[in-house]
Amino acid sequence: MSREKDAANYAIVFFAVLSVLLLIFPASKITHTARMAASYSLYPSLHYGAKYGYFVRNVPSNFLALFETDQENRALKDKIKELEVKLLNASALVSERDRIAGEMRLSRTLPWTGSWARIVNKTPSDWYGSFFIDKGSEDGIGVNDTVLGMQEDRAGLAGRVFEVYSRFSKVLLVTNSAASAVCAIAPSGIEALVEGKGTRLLRVNYVPEQSALAEGAEITTASGGLLFPAGVPVGRVAKVYPRESFMNFITADVTPAVDVNTLKEVFVVRRNLPKEVSAAAGAGWSEGDLPAGRQAQYNEQVAADRR
Amino acid sequence: MTVILEIFLYLAAGSFYWWWTQNLAFFGLAPNFIFASALCAAILAGPVKAVAWGFFLGLYADMLGVSVFGGYALTYSLMAYIVYVIKRHFDMDGFFSQLVAALSLSWICMLFYQGLSLVFFRINPTGLKIFLTEPFLNALAVPAVFQVFYRLKRRTGIL
Repeated sequence: MSREKDAANYAIVFFAVLSVLLLIFPASKITHTARMAASYSLYPSLHYGAKYGYFVRNVPSNFLALFETDQENRALKDKIKELEVKLLNASALVSERDRIAGEMRLSRTLPWTGSWARIVNKTPSDWYGSFFIDKGSEDGIGVNDTVLGMQEDRAGLAGRVFEVYSRFSKVLLVTNSAASAVCAIAPSGIEALVEGKGTRLLRVNYVPEQSALAEGAEITTASGGLLFPAGVPVGRVAKVYPRESFMNFITADVTPAVDVNTLKEVFVVRRNLPKEVSAAAGAGWSEGDLPAGRQAQYNEQVAADRR
Repeated sequence: MTVILEIFLYLAAGSFYWWWTQNLAFFGLAPNFIFASALCAAILAGPVKAVAWGFFLGLYADMLGVSVFGGYALTYSLMAYIVYVIKRHFDMDGFFSQLVAALSLSWICMLFYQGLSLVFFRINPTGLKIFLTEPFLNALAVPAVFQVFYRLKRRTGIL
């Protein structure tokens, strides 16, 4: 019994001294670093909640920085995976959009700044005169913005914005009998006035009689016009009429570049025209009235012919 | 063979406590199975082995803690020695004596550990909630752990 007691005494002294040495020796930092390294290798997480700072306070900062960098790296890898999935989805959506655009014969690569709008209403009594689109002043649409349609993957002049409301707008079609545009006829580039007739076709007017106006000639908006950007296809000459005896000009029917009957959506080109121009246009002004010199010349010619 | 089994029991006791605190802690409270193991080992084993068990289980507890490394090792070593002294005068195999011993030694260990913390690091790692409740949980745990250890001792000859 005495030997057992002695052994117990020796044991308690030995282990007590060992414990006190561990207490005195600054082992906490080493121990907790080793423990953290071991636990991190098994379960790589540093989420200790609100006591995080308390748990890691004994771990050297450079060691902790390694763990935190690893955590950051893991988070970034997850983010990359997530973004790759999103990219794949986006690619699929782009492919789908291209396919739909191809099916609908739409083109998204237009050199103008603007936005797409859907045609929401057509008036049977004014079929070739106007329609409404689903974009208005809230979407940045302004009066006299140019409206383009797509025909067989090419943009063509459809008309211009005539009235703007907050969420929709009224478009005056180029086929409207009140609409006109200064245009250039290929290949010479001579300028003439294209006017709507209220029918499927347009009319090109004020073409000098000596001009070689051939059927099939392409007509585009001219740089001399103010309302429309230059170079927008308007149509092709369908039929050239012989000169009237009292006129020095010839006229021709023009097949519009865009068939307004097939349009489902249009591209509204931002024009940002000066207020004076917009105000004048709002008062019923059309590009046919614009070349005042040419109008005067026409009037004088008609008068001379009649004399 | 018994040494391997004792090492296995040591690791199993520590792992079980760790698992319990990770998964079954209720409002941050759990019986301290390392304490219970140290107490049971102290009751069943001879004095040297009991102190050694207390020391190494204390080291395990220190590893799980975040400060005062060596504090639990000293506490449980001393506890094992106290139990060795007590069990010469009282029958520690009984349920009631184990309950009382667990209850009182829990508080004594906590106070001693907090004293060590104040002495060495001037921090207080044990909250009032743990100080008031854990001894009772330990008192409930000790008889169960004792039965496990007792059966293991009878079958394998360890401790």
